[in-house]
Amino acid sequence: MGNTTMHFEGIYTPVITPFGEDHSIDYDAFAAQVQYLVDSGVQGLMVGGTTGEYYVESHEERVKLLEISKQIAADKAIVIFGTGSVNPDHSIKLAEDGAKHGADVILLATPPYSLPTQRELALHALTIDRAANLPIMLYNYPDRMGVNMEEEFFDRVGRSANFMAIKESSGDINRLHMLARDYPHIQTACGMDDQALEFFAWGAKSWVCAGSNFLPKEHLALYQACVLENDFNKARRIMSAMMPLMRVLEQGGKFIQSVKYGVTIDGRYSGEVRRPLRGLNKDDKRAMNQVVKTLKTTIASILAEDSAEQ
Amino acid sequence: MTDLLTLEEYQAVAADLNPASMSFVDGGFRPSVSGNTFESTNPATGELLANVAACNAEDVDFAVHKAREAFEDGRWSKLHPGERKEILIKLCKLVKRNSRELAVLESLDSGKPIADCESIDIPEFIHTLTWHAELIDKIYDQTAPVGNDAIAMVVREPIGVVGAVLPWNFPLLMLAWKIAPALAAGCSMVVKPAEQTSLTALRIAELAMEAGLPKGVLNVITGGGAEVGEPLGMHMDVDMVTFTGSTVTGRRFLRYAADSNLKKVVLELGGKNPCIVLNDAENLDKVAEQVVAAAFWNMGENCSAGSRLIVEAGVKDALLERIKAHARDWNTGNPLDPQNQLGAMIDAGHFAKVDGYLQQGKADGHDVVLGGGTENGTFIQPTIFDGVSNSDALAREEIFGPVLSVITVNSYDEAIAVANDTEYGLAASVFTANAKKAIRAAQAVRAGTVTVNCFGEGDITTPFGGYKQSGFGGRDNSIHAHDQYTELKTIWIDLSDDAVDGSVD
Repeated sequence: MGNTTMHFEGIYTPVITPFGEDHSIDYDAFAAQVQYLVDSGVQGLMVGGTTGEYYVESHEERVKLLEISKQIAADKAIVIFGTGSVNPDHSIKLAEDGAKHGADVILLATPPYSLPTQRELALHALTIDRAANLPIMLYNYPDRMGVNMEEEFFDRVGRSANFMAIKESSGDINRLHMLARDYPHIQTACGMDDQALEFFAWGAKSWVCAGSNFLPKEHLALYQACVLENDFNKARRIMSAMMPLMRVLEQGGKFIQSVKYGVTIDGRYSGEVRRPLRGLNKDDKRAMNQVVKTLKTTIASILAEDSAEQ
Repeated sequence: MTDLLTLEEYQAVAADLNPASMSFVDGGFRPSVSGNTFESTNPATGELLANVAACNAEDVDFAVHKAREAFEDGRWSKLHPGERKEILIKLCKLVKRNSRELAVLESLDSGKPIADCESIDIPEFIHTLTWHAELIDKIYDQTAPVGNDAIAMVVREPIGVVGAVLPWNFPLLMLAWKIAPALAAGCSMVVKPAEQTSLTALRIAELAMEAGLPKGVLNVITGGGAEVGEPLGMHMDVDMVTFTGSTVTGRRFLRYAADSNLKKVVLELGGKNPCIVLNDAENLDKVAEQVVAAAFWNMGENCSAGSRLIVEAGVKDALLERIKAHARDWNTGNPLDPQNQLGAMIDAGHFAKVDGYLQQGKADGHDVVLGGGTENGTFIQPTIFDGVSNSDALAREEIFGPVLSVITVNSYDEAIAVANDTEYGLAASVFTANAKKAIRAAQAVRAGTVTVNCFGEGDITTPFGGYKQSGFGGRDNSIHAHDQYTELKTIWIDLSDDAVDGSVD
């Protein structure tokens, strides 16, 4: 039978994968990044997400990243393990190994390129579910995958109680409305960084945010204001301060590179990106530096003002 | 229906089942809002079948909202009747294709003998659904004879959102009795299966989605009576509740209706049905066979069970001998074994209740002519008590178990008087070779269905429901079942406009 409902509440960081100059994974740097995030108080880690460049990692690499994360996170943060792959068989194997190596949740995405029908997608999802029998966070990201998870998909996968949440990364606000109104039992996690405020307003309680790789405190502040304090005036100010970063990330065309550079600015090793991506140029880096600095200062002052009032 | 399998083959089918266990709302499965579940177990073994969503008023509200949305936008209610028929017929085909799985699931969930599930419940489900689906594009409305100055049309429209609350004794068949006419009529539904037997209704909902039934039209909310049944009965946006079950619960639905929006209520309740055998009854072997079937079929967990044998003294001994002989052929045991005619009682609580009647009957000194024993806290032997007076609890209360009470009478008139001396009036049987007596008896007994020289409930073409405290507000089966899910509307069109006869200007 299904697992007990897991409540997704908080900041879930899709952890970057630091690559060395030879493009092999620097597991020590990864461990340091995970340790940093756990110490920063994020509620969960996502291993094998888009930000982690899963699509250019081998099965063994992905499982090893999971093992390291679990070891460090222990019971301080949950670990969500990505099972995405072009090849559904690989996803099934990842799901099996995810369960074997202690993943708390699996992330289940639509397979890219094959353009399955909604029925085919649902059968695929149910197969992966059987392989892991863990709580599932769905991952809807049509820009990268070519397909959306539509209503027929949700209706069909509903047969298993493991489908508990969805990381919605389509950017289509109407989908958020549809999810909130018609599928209230599926918890919505913000997967589109520049729409976090809107997600929280519609009742989402979690945010899978790449920026928390280097700005966990600031992302936690927005979660705190929206979900714990229900203070959307303050939240709007925080989000407004974050918007320049969101613009760079979501609309800048160099999402992963920017996140990794953010980690570098923050003083940890983030390394190279694997091909076909290339790192940021000087101008991009300068822009990131500026954006991050301004953001930190502004949010710090909003938080200081808030604590002064108390 | 396909041939029966062996016990081992059925066990293999059972091992492969993966029952859906969440509520079905708006075209998909959903956990309860609270996330709570309850255990659905196999009554014959106590084995866990599924952790079923334990819904509450919030889930009911959401389902009603979705059913209302579906009804109002006409995705089903305004569909051409022929298209509704097509989708329901497709559902029948899917049920047929999955009939083995459904039969095993039904047997596991309810304790019913697999042979009955295969040969009665599933085929009857399909037959009922087909009949109402085929009916829907053949019903004409009327015009009233109102003269030439007007046209008055009398039309039937689907009543709206129907709440259907089901019993556990025929989970699939009662589902069909409710959803077939209501869906064919164009209504949207929120179905609450009995807590003990939710699994096949969920599977049917899934197949209905497969068949193309639009979202929101058929919703299944699982859970208890207080948590789901009452909110459904009290809901201000439910137009009608159809309920089959105990008289006690039936009363509650009337109260809910009065305390909420005066929704229409149709009740199909309990029975303490007489089986009258007169001295001139022919072919006592056949009579005995029918009496046994009436009393013990479905473990006596049947509101139309012939639980009171009212027999004239002259024929009693001869008949009882034959009844005993026939009843011995009814094996009790593992419901999945096709050799067994009697399965398990629905649950421990009900077992204890029926066993209580057995113990009380014995303590009161009634003769146990047959059976009287129990096994494993699950199975009850077919039992016959002789020497029962119609004032005894054994003759007045609905036991809902395989217990037959024999009441001896000395005349036709006494037989009719005893038969009618009950608060119930669901069904009755009369056995006599005298045609005049048979018809008089059929007229004299106050019950919704009276069968002569046989036991039965009629079929899909005949209405089923009760007199007195056995029912209220409508009938299952037949075109009358269709009618109860509709509202009558008069459309009056004035033709007296001067322009019509050209007299203006």
